[in-house]
Parts: sequence; structure tokens; C-alpha cells
Amino acid sequence: MKIGRRQFLGTSSAALIGLSLKSEKKIEGSFVNESVVAGHLLRDRKPFPPARQTIKTPLVIVGGGISGLSAAWRLRKRGFNDFVLLEMNAQAGGNARSGENEITAYPWAAHYVPIPGPKAEYVRELFTDLGVLQDGQWEERYLAFAPQERLFLYGRWQDGIEPSFGLTQKDREQFQRLEEAFAKYRASGAFTVPLEIGYSNKFAELDQTPFTDWLATQGFDSRLLNWYMNYACRDDYGALARDTSAWAGIHYFSSREAEEKGPLTWPEGNGWITKRLLKRVHENVRTDQMVNKIVPTARGASVFAGEIEYQAKFVIFSAPTFLAPYIIDDFPPLKTFVYSPWLTANLTLERLPVTRGAEPSWDTVFLDSPTLGYVDATHQSLRTHIDRTVWTFYWALADGTPSQNRQTLLSSDWNFWKEAILKDLERVHKDIRQCVSRMDIMRMGHAMVRPVPGTISSEERVKLKRRDQRILFANSDLSGISIFEEAQFHGVEAAQAVLRRLGGTRNAPGESR
Amino acid sequence: MNILLFLTVLLVAACALIYELIAGTIASYLVGDSVFQFSTVIGTYLFAMGLGSALSRYLNKGLIQRFIWIELMLGVVGGFSSAALMWAFAFSEGFHIVLYALVIVMGVLVGLEIPLLMRIVKDRYSFRDVVAHVLTFDYLGALGASLLFPILLIPHLGLIRSALFFGLINAGVALWSTFLFAPQLMEKRTLRAACFVVLCLLAGGIVKAKQITATAEDNIYADEIIFARDTRYQHIVLTRFKDDLRLFLNSHLQFSSRDEYRYHEALVHPGLAAVPFAKTVLVLGGGDGLAVREILKYPQVDKVTLVDLDPEMTKLFSTQSMLINLNQKSLSSPRLQVINADAFPWVDQNTQSFDFIVIDFPDPTNYALGKLYTTAFYRAVARHLSAQGFMVVQSTSPMFARDSFWCIVETLHKSGLQTFPYHVYVPSFGEWGFVLAGTHEYVAPTSLPSALRFLNPEGIPLLFQFPPDMGPVPMPANQLNTQVLVRTYENDWKDISH
Repeated sequence: MKIGRRQFLGTSSAALIGLSLKSEKKIEGSFVNESVVAGHLLRDRKPFPPARQTIKTPLVIVGGGISGLSAAWRLRKRGFNDFVLLEMNAQAGGNARSGENEITAYPWAAHYVPIPGPKAEYVRELFTDLGVLQDGQWEERYLAFAPQERLFLYGRWQDGIEPSFGLTQKDREQFQRLEEAFAKYRASGAFTVPLEIGYSNKFAELDQTPFTDWLATQGFDSRLLNWYMNYACRDDYGALARDTSAWAGIHYFSSREAEEKGPLTWPEGNGWITKRLLKRVHENVRTDQMVNKIVPTARGASVFAGEIEYQAKFVIFSAPTFLAPYIIDDFPPLKTFVYSPWLTANLTLERLPVTRGAEPSWDTVFLDSPTLGYVDATHQSLRTHIDRTVWTFYWALADGTPSQNRQTLLSSDWNFWKEAILKDLERVHKDIRQCVSRMDIMRMGHAMVRPVPGTISSEERVKLKRRDQRILFANSDLSGISIFEEAQFHGVEAAQAVLRRLGGTRNAPGESR
Repeated sequence: MNILLFLTVLLVAACALIYELIAGTIASYLVGDSVFQFSTVIGTYLFAMGLGSALSRYLNKGLIQRFIWIELMLGVVGGFSSAALMWAFAFSEGFHIVLYALVIVMGVLVGLEIPLLMRIVKDRYSFRDVVAHVLTFDYLGALGASLLFPILLIPHLGLIRSALFFGLINAGVALWSTFLFAPQLMEKRTLRAACFVVLCLLAGGIVKAKQITATAEDNIYADEIIFARDTRYQHIVLTRFKDDLRLFLNSHLQFSSRDEYRYHEALVHPGLAAVPFAKTVLVLGGGDGLAVREILKYPQVDKVTLVDLDPEMTKLFSTQSMLINLNQKSLSSPRLQVINADAFPWVDQNTQSFDFIVIDFPDPTNYALGKLYTTAFYRAVARHLSAQGFMVVQSTSPMFARDSFWCIVETLHKSGLQTFPYHVYVPSFGEWGFVLAGTHEYVAPTSLPSALRFLNPEGIPLLFQFPPDMGPVPMPANQLNTQVLVRTYENDWKDISH
């Protein structure tokens, strides 16, 4: 048989591919922490089994993320222990969950808290409790170690994420002018964390405008500047700048002092805080308890979870607010809340990729990547010698509509996402496939609230913050932005409101706001 | 034919002498006492050659073929002899067994060469001419080799590659002989294939040797590399020139055996002698055991804990004869406990208290090492210090890295400690700095252990005086989140090299 040239080339290249596949390391892994099935039971209003047991309790907290755990922390700290916290997942923590393997602990989502300013009283109080803040000093080992951030652009590395290399005169001028604009908004005192403290209607019109439009009207057309603004919006809101309100875009940059100290972080990210909160409140926490129905009653509400009906005087609803119409009887549909779909992946690396021109950093970002890059969990290790590590890879599916992206997120299999992530990393780390031995992926259809234009100034949002109801809402989405400080703020505020209304409880002076 | 044949003799003779010289040189480099080493190596080699000559009478058939095989064997054994000796020195106790075994094997093979060659050519010339020509070229080759060895080979190729290079010549002679004696030869193909394999092996060795000693290292290390190893944690290199033994970790000089006593006496005694009640001492880093050697000079110290990351480092310095001569077997002392651990987590988790703590890490050349020079680290270490205790920190050069030195002083100060910086002159390092730190005032000791070579009680207060060009400069403290020291250090040394 005569082998044609084309056929020969075909077979030999197939053989070559076969060889290269053979030499590639096998990467294990799966989807983890899936809560989509349980969530869809609620969405599709499937019937749940009736309750067989009734428990009377003054208070039920729905949801064990940072909001719910912070409410519990405040209650127990005030000596009030008679409540239950119901968490639908096996592990409490919500967006501050973490995992651990033989190498290190690692985050599943939120991985740092910026140094809280003086207005973030509750955060400072918590960090004092946890030994993070001592005598006005931040514990050094909880501050992000140097080098903190690096950006890969134009084939090389630079320190920091704001592009500082390959800028034209125009780029520099615009970055400078934008910083001055942000400084003015910062000085106004209207952009604070927690958001509620400084919020005023003075800048409400900013919330009606997409961030990109605001940038364009101000004459910011630098490509690198717009990349950086988009990166910031994707990082904090899971959204592109065009889907973010200008108010929220400005808030990202104007709500904090330009701190050189860098954020607080831990190998397992904010999971470190979750663990310590749980240590203090675990007696009240019930995991694997999905609340399927809340029925308001004359003296409170009945909360149904599994086979138990909790007859409570008060409910703190710390779960994402979009769930309320699916759980609470006769709750009107919500208009304001939009959520961004995300995925995070934890990659176990048997060795670090060969990298020239940069030392391993805490946070690594690639210019023009649709993803957010990765964070190295062993960066906060005290060890000097690190050969194996875990990277947490972040990807907010921002381009396109949230519902389309949720569809993509859920319909594609693990192998699809594994390849997508490796391809993104391969742009910079050519040998990444030889380094990774495992990749676990967590998909979150409603990872965080998205401050689309109109969210921050929405009346619905303000109405939901009312503390004079029997059901008090407390998720971070009440602020329109999903960050640790907002979640903690609403959790603590709701707990304090309940304590006041239960009456006669010890209320520390100066505590109420 | 004539001239080619006698050129073969010349090359063969040169190889033989080179292997002998290499064995002698390595033995005297590694073990010292060069007169003894050279004379026993030469004696054994010549004796083995005699043995080879005696054995040659038992070889009767296929002389040419046998000669080629001998060349190939000699190429392999001689070619890798250097590498094998270095390896034996590093990894086994039986260096001398390997040395003399190699010398005997090489000697026997060399001893077979000339008698066989003479018999191969005996029919072509008269006996008188054979003896005259062969021996002439034999001695000529020896002269060439003895001149090449010190002038060209050792300075430019080094021991490992010189041996491999001459192994190639042996194998080359074998290959060439298959052509030279082609008419009388059977199985030429097999022989040539064997030659090819041996040539590849040796050429591979040369390439690999270049890798082992990393291309750049030839420039970094002035002296012969006698040990090079990539451990899990670092790249360890030992070099030797005459009586000067040097240790390099990741290409940074750690000590020179000529003047390390200055460094280690200065590191230990100003502090430890000032804590006369000291019973427990902690050493962080210092896996070479040289600081421990100084500490063990205090009879009242009954427990020394050494924490060093790299087990291969502490093993090397507790088993190798030349190195245990240097540290006086300090790592085998019953008073010493060796812990192979990463220092920061160990310090963080351990709860013991110590009267004196020696911190002797490599300079802060990267962010990983930089963690060991931070306020967070010093605070953690200070928790282990007994009330009247002191710690001492090797703090790079206040002359060449002045900002770095004073940054370390400030870091210790910010960690809540009183600091007492001092400096000494170590010829191989230049001016070198240390910082004593504790929670109370330092008073220089009035007595020291006997038999110190560098320090005396009168001299100690002088070490604490800094001339203006090394004097204090205001620097920020080094913290985990800023790591200012790493950048400062990089800049300091950049300035020096320009």
C-alpha cells in the first residue's frame, strides 16, 4: 500500500500529538460545593415535605455567610444565646468558605479585607476580638506579604495591577487626572465603607449612569485606563464597567484611603474569619438546613427547614435577598437585584511554573484576560521554602447577560472549564500543565449582587433595610455591593435591632446607630 | 603508518599520566596532606601498572581487539574517575576505598597497554627499534601531560571535565585503532559501535558536568569545585584551593576556612560570654556547625538546639572528614540537638526558652529569605529569649550594604528590643556586621573561653565603634508586608558592583 504524503503527515502528526498527550500530567478534579440543585428546587417551587416537629425560638437567622455569622457573633457577644442559624450548605461561610489539602488552606471565594477605616467600627471591633488589631497595630503576619500584586503585560511582568509600563503620555495624564477625580469624591465623604454611613442623594445622579459613560464624558479614552476600570468592576462586582453604575465604579476607588499597608489576608482568605466566627457561634449553627418556606404570622414568622418548623418572633434573613420571593409567603417580586455569575477554581501545583522576571506574588493578573487571574494560597505562609502550592483562580463571567452566562456556567462540564482555565494560564505560564495535579471548580450562579445603574439609589433597596419588621434583611446585597464589610455591617445591625426589640437585653451605650 | 602508530603511544601515555595526576590531586584537595596522598597514589598506580604488565603475558589471541577494549575501558573508568571520587567524597565514608580501587583498576589497564602495543608492532620493526620508539613516545606523552595538567587543564577545564576529556582521547584512540589496524581486525563493526557508545557516554558526561557546575559557576568560583549538589532547598558548592575550603549556598559565599574563625568567634562570643549563666542556646541557620563549635567552648552550656532547613547540609557537615575537621565534630556533640525545619514556623510553634540565640541566615537576597529579617520574625524569636538573654543576628556588611545593615538594626529595634550593633573584619567577606539584641543593657564580657584566635576581652568594646562611613543611617523597619530590606539589599550591592 502506498502511503500518500498527506496521509503520512496526518498519521505522523497524530502520533506526535499522541506522544505529547502521553507526556502530559493527568489532572484530577471535579465541581465542588454545588448548591444549584437545591436552589432550583426553590426556583421551581417544588413541594417540600411537611414539618414533623415544632420548635419555638425567639430568633432564626437564615443563611450562614458573613452576614448571618456576624449577627450570631453580635448576639452571643451580648450574652444572647437563644437563637438558631440555618445554613443550607454542609459548610457555613458563604462567599467566605475555604478548603484545605495537605499543602495549605485555600479560599473558595472572598480572600481579603482591606484595612478598615475608622468608620468601619464593627469590622475593627471584630478584628480586635480576633487579635488582628492590637493596640492600634495591625498584626503583621495578617497583612498581605510583599510582593503583593503583579501584572503580566506586553510579554513582561510589572509590580502592581495598575498598568505602569508601556503607557503613552496621554495614558499617564489620564491616570493622573482620574486619580485626582477620585480624590475629590473621596474628600466629599459620601463614598464610605460601610456604604450607608456616608451615602447621600447628592451624588445620586451618578448612579443613573453606566461607569463607561461617565468615563467617556470625562474624556477618559485611554485603552489601558479603561482596561483597569473594567478589571476593577469585574473584580469587585463581577461586571463590566458598562454594566456598573458610575457611583459604584467611583466607590471602588474613593471609599478607602490610599493605604500602602495592603489588605488583610490569610492562606484560606476570609475563610480564616469564618473559622473564628464559627468557633464563637457554632452551638447555634445548623448546617445542611435549607429553609424552604417562611410564613409571616401575627407574632413573628414560621420558618420551615427539613422536618422542623421554627416558630420565631424574629427572622434575620441573611441569605441573598433574591431568594426572598421564593421563600417568604406573599413576598412581592423584586425589581432591583441583579447578580453576577462566577466560578472559582483551586489548582494544586506540584511545582511552580518557571517564571522569569518576577518573584512569586500574592495576586497575579494578566492584561486583557477575561479572567481575574489567581491568588497564591501559600504566599502568606511563614515558610521560606515552598515547592508545592495552591492557586485560587477567579473568573467573573461578566461579558454578556447574567442569565446567558449562568446558562454557560451550568451547561458546560468540568473538562470544558478546566481547559478554559488552563488555556488562560498557558498564555503566560507555558508549562502550567506540567505543574497542576488537581483542579476543583466551584460554580456560583448568583455569586454577588451587581450594582447596575439604579441599584444604589433604588427605593426598594432602602425599603428592605427597614428594621421595624419581623423579618429583617441583612445580606450584603442590601448595600448593592458584595463585600465583607457590608455583609458584616448588615448582620450586626440586624442583630442589634432584634436585641432592642426583644427588649431588656443588655445594650451597650453608644452602640445603636 | 609509523608516525600514526607512535602518536597513539604518545596519547595513551598522556592519558595514563593524567589519570594518575587527577587521582593524586583530588585526594590531596579533599583529604589534605598532599605529600602522603601523592606518594601513595603514585606508588599504588605504578604497582598496578606492574601488575598489568605481568598479566599481559596471559593475553595471547586477538591482541589488537583486546587493546581496543582496554582503551575503551580505560576511557570509561579514567574518564569518570574524577566524578566518581567527588561523589564518593560527598556521599560515602569510603572515599579511600574508592580511591585506591580506582587507582588499581586504572593502573592495571595502563600497565597492559604498552606491552600489548609492543607485541602488536613487534613483527614490523626490530626489537631494538620497538623498545626505543615506544618508550620515547611514552615518555614524551608523559612530559606533555605533566605540563598540560597544571597550566591548561586545571585552570580551564577543572578536574571533572579534564578526566572526561582524556577519557574521550582514550576512546578516540580505540576508534582510530580500528582503522589503523583494519587489515588484521575482525568484528570491526562491533568494535566501532562500542567506541561510539563510549564516546557518547563521555561527551554526555562533559555536557552534564557543565550543567552540574552551571555554566555561570565557572566564573563565580575562582577555585576548584570539589562538591556541588542541588538539594531540595538549595545549591551547595564546596571549593578548595590549597588549604582554603569555601562553602557557597546558591552561589553566595558562606565561609572561607582561612578566616571563618574571625566570623564565628565574632558571631558567638561577644554575646554568649556576656550571658555567663547561659545553659540553653538556640542556633537558627548555621548548618555548617561552625557557630556551634564556638558555643560548645562554654562548659556551662548543656543544651544547644540547631534549626537548619536542609538535612543534607547538616549531614554533610557531620560526616565529611574535611568538614568535621573544620567544625571539630560539633554536629555530633551529645549536647547538640539538630532539627531540620523551616525556621519561622518552628519558632512560631515552639515554646522553649533560650538564654542565647544565634540567627545566622544567608543574606536577604530574595523575598523568601527576607521573611527571616522582619519585625514579625524577631518578635516571634524574642518570645523565646530568657529574661537576661541575648540574641545575635548576622546582618550583612555595614560597609558594602550600609542601608541594609541599619535597616536590620531598626527592624530589631521596632520589634521592641534594645540593639547593640558591632562589626569585624573578615578578609574573605570584608567588613561584616552583627547586631546583639535583648531586653536590657549590654555589658561587654571581661573574660572569654581560652584559645580564641581572634577575640580578646580588651578588643570586644572596640567592635561596637562604627567609623563615619559605616555609621547609622535612618532606615525603615523591615516588615512582611513591605520587605523593604530585600530591595535595599539589592540596591546596596548593585552600587558596589558598578
